[in-house]
Amino acid sequence: MKNQSQSHHRTLERFQVSRRIGWFDRFMNHFIVVGGLMVIAAVMGIFVFIFLQVAPLFHGAEVKLLSRHKLTDTVDSVVAVDLDEWGELPVLIQKDGSLRYRDLKGDRGIIENGQVFQAGETLSSIHYNSLNRLLVAGSNSGRFAYAKVGYRPEYDSLSVRTVHPDVTRSDWFDLSGKGERILFVDYGEGDSNKLAVGICLDSEGYRHVRAVSLEQDLSLFGEGGKISLGARFDLTEAIDQAIQQIDVAPDGGLVLIVAENGEVFVFFNQGGKLELGQRFEPFGDLPDRRVGGADFLLGDTSAVFTGWEGENRVYSLSLDRDKGKRLYARTKEFEPMPELPEGYFPGVRNNSFLLVGNHHASLRFSTTESIRWQRNFEFEIIRGLIGEKYDRLGFLDRTGTFHLFHLRDPHPQAGLRAFLGKVRYEGQAEPDYVWQSTGGTDDFEPKLSLVPLIIGSLKGTLYAMLFAAPIALLGALYTSQFLHPKWRDHVKPTMEIMASLPSVVLGFMAALWLAPLLDTRVPSLLLVLLGVPCATLACNWCWGQLPHRVRTSIPAGLEFLLLSPIILITCILCWKAGPLAEEILFVVTNPETGERVADFRLWWPEFTGATYTQRNSLVVGFMMGFAVIPVIFSIAEDSLSNVPKSLRSGSLALGASRWQTAVNIVLPTASPGIISALLIGISRALGETMIVVMATGNTPLKDFNIFSGMRALSANIVVEFPQAPFQGTLYRTLFLGALTLFIMTFIINTMAEVLRQHLRNRYKAVR
Amino acid sequence: MKAIRKNSQVSGKGEIGVWFSSLGLSLGLLMIVALLGVIAYNGLSVFWPKRVVQVEFDPQSAPDLGSRSAVAGIITSQKVKSQESPEEWRLFVGNKDQYGISYSYFDRDSLLKVTQPEDLLVLERTAYGKAIGYPEHISGPSGELVSAEHPEFAERLGSLVRECQDRGKEIRKLETREIGAIHEALENLRLQQLRLERQSELSSKDREALEKIEKERARYESLFTTLATQARSLRDLQTSHKLQYRLASGEEIDLPIGEIHRFFYPNQIGFWGRAAVFCNHIKEFLLSEPREANTEGGVFPAIFGTFVMTLFMCVIVTPFGVLAAIYLCEYAKDGVFVRVVRIAINNLAGVPSIVFGVFGLGFFVYLVGGTLDELFFSLRLPTPTFGTGGILWASLTLALMTVPVVIVAAEEALTSVSPGLRESSMACGASKWQTIQRIVLPASAPGVLTGMILAMARGAGEVAPLMLLGVVKIAPSLPLDNQFPFLHLDRKFMHLGFHIYDLGFQSPDSEAALPMVFATTLLLIVLVVVLNLAAILIRNRLRRKYQIAGF
Repeated sequence: MKNQSQSHHRTLERFQVSRRIGWFDRFMNHFIVVGGLMVIAAVMGIFVFIFLQVAPLFHGAEVKLLSRHKLTDTVDSVVAVDLDEWGELPVLIQKDGSLRYRDLKGDRGIIENGQVFQAGETLSSIHYNSLNRLLVAGSNSGRFAYAKVGYRPEYDSLSVRTVHPDVTRSDWFDLSGKGERILFVDYGEGDSNKLAVGICLDSEGYRHVRAVSLEQDLSLFGEGGKISLGARFDLTEAIDQAIQQIDVAPDGGLVLIVAENGEVFVFFNQGGKLELGQRFEPFGDLPDRRVGGADFLLGDTSAVFTGWEGENRVYSLSLDRDKGKRLYARTKEFEPMPELPEGYFPGVRNNSFLLVGNHHASLRFSTTESIRWQRNFEFEIIRGLIGEKYDRLGFLDRTGTFHLFHLRDPHPQAGLRAFLGKVRYEGQAEPDYVWQSTGGTDDFEPKLSLVPLIIGSLKGTLYAMLFAAPIALLGALYTSQFLHPKWRDHVKPTMEIMASLPSVVLGFMAALWLAPLLDTRVPSLLLVLLGVPCATLACNWCWGQLPHRVRTSIPAGLEFLLLSPIILITCILCWKAGPLAEEILFVVTNPETGERVADFRLWWPEFTGATYTQRNSLVVGFMMGFAVIPVIFSIAEDSLSNVPKSLRSGSLALGASRWQTAVNIVLPTASPGIISALLIGISRALGETMIVVMATGNTPLKDFNIFSGMRALSANIVVEFPQAPFQGTLYRTLFLGALTLFIMTFIINTMAEVLRQHLRNRYKAVR
Repeated sequence: MKAIRKNSQVSGKGEIGVWFSSLGLSLGLLMIVALLGVIAYNGLSVFWPKRVVQVEFDPQSAPDLGSRSAVAGIITSQKVKSQESPEEWRLFVGNKDQYGISYSYFDRDSLLKVTQPEDLLVLERTAYGKAIGYPEHISGPSGELVSAEHPEFAERLGSLVRECQDRGKEIRKLETREIGAIHEALENLRLQQLRLERQSELSSKDREALEKIEKERARYESLFTTLATQARSLRDLQTSHKLQYRLASGEEIDLPIGEIHRFFYPNQIGFWGRAAVFCNHIKEFLLSEPREANTEGGVFPAIFGTFVMTLFMCVIVTPFGVLAAIYLCEYAKDGVFVRVVRIAINNLAGVPSIVFGVFGLGFFVYLVGGTLDELFFSLRLPTPTFGTGGILWASLTLALMTVPVVIVAAEEALTSVSPGLRESSMACGASKWQTIQRIVLPASAPGVLTGMILAMARGAGEVAPLMLLGVVKIAPSLPLDNQFPFLHLDRKFMHLGFHIYDLGFQSPDSEAALPMVFATTLLLIVLVVVLNLAAILIRNRLRRKYQIAGF
C-alpha cells in the first residue's frame, strides 16, 4: 500500500497533468473521501437514531419551578388545593366550605367563590376527594351534601381561553337518620353505585359508622334524574376496633375502614348490600403495625397505604382462587419515605401518586413500583397536587404560598422493570411477563413486557433451526464433498436464488396453504419424518447388495438422483398412511358420549395439556426453514469447499474413504465456517417478519409448545406500529423492540463474521 | 487408476453417511421444487378456462342455495374427507349477485345429474365477478331482439362488447384524466386563496388576485359541468343494449352490455380457444387495474408501484453504495477502522428489514417529512403531504437497507480488478481519479451491476418495512403520470408483495381472493427469480473475464 502511494507521487512529478485535471482529481478525491465517510456515517446513524428514540423511556421525571403565589394567610383552615386542567386557576378549599381561586394567567387576581354549601346547616366535617373532585360536607344535624369542584373553559373570538370555576352542589341527604352530629363523611359515585359512609356521634357520646346509598332516577335525557335516598346501613357492629379513617372508593363500589391498630376492614357494595368482605393488616409483618394513611389510586382497584415509619405499600384487588372472590393482596412495595408521609395526592391520568411529608415530596408510579422523582424542599409542604394532564405539580407550604412546578414525565410506565421484569398488574393474582399495549378504558394499565415477545422470536427461531439446520448442513456437506461437479454448478445458484425468495410468499404459503393442509395431517407428517431416514437406510443397504457392475455403472456423486424418487415415493406413502396411524395411535375418548375419536388435534391437548392451534410453530418453523436453509447452505458450502485441496488429497491418498475424509478432515477444518453459517441462519430467522406475522396467531405466549402460536418481536412492530401515537410510550417501546432485535442480530452477525475471518486466516496458514 | 478409485469409494467405510448427507440435498431440492410447483400450478391454473358443469340435486342437500335444484359451476376440488363420507365437490357457482356466495359444496352422492351443456356462457362482469348462464337474447334500445339461436349471435355480442369497452375507455379518460386535472387545478386555487387570506392586510394587488382566482374557479367549474354531462351521456349509452341470460337455476337476468368484460363458451371452445382465453386472462392480469376489492381484474398498479419504487431505490442506492465502496477500496488505509467498518457493513446486510422500517418511519416520515410539511406545505396542514408514508420515504428506506449489499458487491468487484491494470494506468500518467474513472470503474461495472440487481431483488420482495411506509391496498393514482410534476414522490403506492399480504389476510372474501393471491405470488417469484438469474449470469460472465485477465 505504501509503495503504491509513493509510486503514485513519483508519477505525478514525472508526468505533469493539466491544471484542470489536477483540480478535478483533487476535488474527486475529497469528494469520495467525504462522501464515502458520510455514507458509512449515515448507515451507522441508524443505530444512533433508534437509540435516541429509545433513550427517553429510561429518563426520570423532570420538575421545574414555574411560579409562586401567595394564596392565604390562614393555612390551618385549608382542606385542599386543586388545579384546573390547563394549570391556570388553582383553588384553595377551606374548612368552612368556601373556595378561593387565584388567576395565574389573566388579571382577575383572587376570586372568592364564597361558601359552596347552603346556609341553614352547620358544617361539622368537610373532606375533599381529589380523584373525582368531590367536596363532601357533613352537618350537625346528621346530613351530608357534596359538590363537584369543576372548571369550565370559555373561548373568545380569538380563541383565547379563560377558565371559570364551575361548581355544582347536591342537596342535603340524611346520613344518620337520627339527627346525630357527623364527625366525618366520605362519598363516592360511579355508574352503578353512589355511596356515602360516615361517623356519627349520638347524644350519649357513642360513635356509629353509618352508610347510605343514593339512587338516581333514570331520565330520558341521560343526564340523570332526581337523586333520592336508598338503603341505609349500620356498620358499627362489624367493626370492633377504634376507627382511624374511612375511604369510600371513588366509584362507590367499596369502603376501606382503617382502624387505629392497623387493621383494614373492606366492605363491598354489591347487590344492594354493604358487607364486610375482608380484614387485613397492610403492615402486619412489621413491628409497628399501624397504618398512617390510606387512599385509592386511579381505577378504584388499588389502594395505597403508608406506615408510621414511612413505609409505602400498594394493595390491589385480585381474584383469590381459594375463596373465589376478589380480595386485596399486596402488589407493590415502595422504598420507605425518609419522612413520615402526611399527605397523599393521586394523579387522575395514570397510576401515579404524590406523597409529601414535612419538607419531602416524592412522586411515585404504582405500576412499575418506581419513584419517578423526589426532592427535599426548603419550605414545609402541607398540601400537594398532581395536575390533571400529569404535567404540573403543586405544593402549598406552611406560609400559605402555592408553588407551581412543571412536570415533564412522558413515559412513567416505562423502565427496565416494566420491560424485562415480572410485574403484577392490577387484577392479576401473580406477577407475570405480559404484553398488552392497549385496552378499552382510560384507567387501563399498558403492559409492556418484552419477555413474551423475545420468547416468541426465540421459539420461531428454534423450530426453524431444528428443521433447517440438519437439511442445510447435510446438503452442504454432500454438495461440497461428494456431489458430481457438473451438478454442483447448478445446485449452488438454485439455492442462492431461493435465499432471495420474498418472505411474504413463504408467509402466504405457510398460512393459507400449509397450515390448512397440515391441520388434519400431523400424523402424516410424523410418519414422513420417521419414514424418510428409514427409506434412506434401506436404500443404502439395497444398493450395497447389488452386484459390483451395477454399482459402478453410476458414477459416484449422483446418489441423490437415485434417492430423490425413493424419498418422494416414501413421502407420498407416509402421507397417505397418516390417517391410519392416527387411528391406531392418537385416539381420544369423549368423556360425555364415550365415543372414541381418532384426531390428533384433540389427542395433543389431552395428552400434554398444551393447546393446539392451526397456525402453529410447526408451520412457522417449516416455512421459516425454507427461508433459512439457503442461507445456511450457501455459507456452509462455501467454507466446506474452500478447504484446501491438499488436505483432502492427502487424506484420500492415505487410504481414508471419502466419508472418513469429509468427517475427519474437512469438517473439523471448516467448523468455524459451519458455526458461522448456523449463526447467520439464526439471525435471519430472528429478524424474519412476514412469515411470522402471517403464519402465527400473533398471540403473545410464553411457552415452547410446538402446536401453539406466538408473537415475535418483529411481528409485534408490524402489528402495533400503525396504532402507536408519535413519540408516545408505545411508539418508543416498539423502537426498543427494534433496538433489541438490532442488537441481537448485530451480536450474532459479528460473531459469525469474526469466525469467518478466523477461518480465512486458518486456510491461509494451511496454504 | 480410475477403476481403483471408484472401487475404493463403493466399498469404503461410511457410505451410509454419504447417503444420509445426500438426503439433505434431495430433501432441500424436492421441497423447493414442490413449493415452486404448487405456486406455479395454482398461479397458472387461475387463468386457464375450465369446463363448466351443470348439476342437479335435491334442494335440501345444499341449503345455502335456497330452494334451487340445479346450478352450473366449475369444479374446483373433489376430495374424500374420510373413508366413510362420500366424495365432496366444491363448485365455483359465480353469479354472486343472485346466490350471494362464490362457492358451494356438494356430496357426490346427492347429485342427481351432472352434464356439460354446450351452450353455457361464462360472462366476466365489471361488478359481482363471473356470471354463468344460458344466453337468451340481446335487446337494443328500440326493442329489437337478437335471439341466442341466431347464427350471428356470438359475433353480434362480441362487437357490442368491444364497442362498449372502447366507450368505457373514453369515459375513464374523461373521468380520471380531465376531471382529475380540474380537481387538481381547483385545489391549487384553493391553496392560493388561502395563502392570500392568511395575510393580515390585503393590498389592492392581492384583491385583484383574489378576484382572478374566483373567475378561474368559475371557469373550471363550468368546464367540470360540461365534462360531467358528457361522461353521463356516454354512461347512458353503455346501458342501451342489454343481454338477457337464464341461470341454470331458472332466474332470468338482464345485464347491460357495458358491464360485460369478456365472455366465452367454456364447453364449446377447443384447446386453442382456451389457450387464447388463457393468454387474454394473463394480459388482463398484467395490464389492467384491479376490480372487486382487488379480487378480480389485474395488478398493473401494483406492478407499476413495485417497479417505480425499486427503480427509484436503485437510483439512490447505486451512487452512494459505489461511492462508499470506492472509498473503502481505493482510499481508506487498511487498519482497525476499515476492518471495523467492513464488519459493520457486512452485519448491516443482516439486520432485519423491519428495523429499517421502524427507522424510516421515525426518521424520514415523522422527523424529515414533518419538518418539510411545516416549512413548505403548512397551508395544507393538518393533511400531511410528506409527513406520512409515501413512495419517496419507502424508496429511501429500502435504499438504506440495501446499501450494504451494494457496498459489499461493489467492493468485491473493485478489489478483483487486478492491481496491474491500476499500476499501468498510473504509469501512463493518469491521475488517481482518472484511473478510477477510466480503468477501475468500467472493469468492475458488471460486479456493480450484480450488486445493483441483487439489491433490486431484495427491495422488490421486501414487504415488512413498506407496511409502515405508505404502501396501500388501493392507490387512487400512480406515482408517475402525465400531470405536473410527473413523478409524485409524496403519493402512496401499491406493491406486489403487500398485495399478496392484503389479499390473503385482509380481504373480506378471502376464499374468492385466493386464486388472485396465487397469481400475484407467481408473478412476484418470477420477477425476483429473473432478477437473481440476471445477477448470477452477469457474475459468471464476470468471473470468466477475470480468469483471463488475472493471468
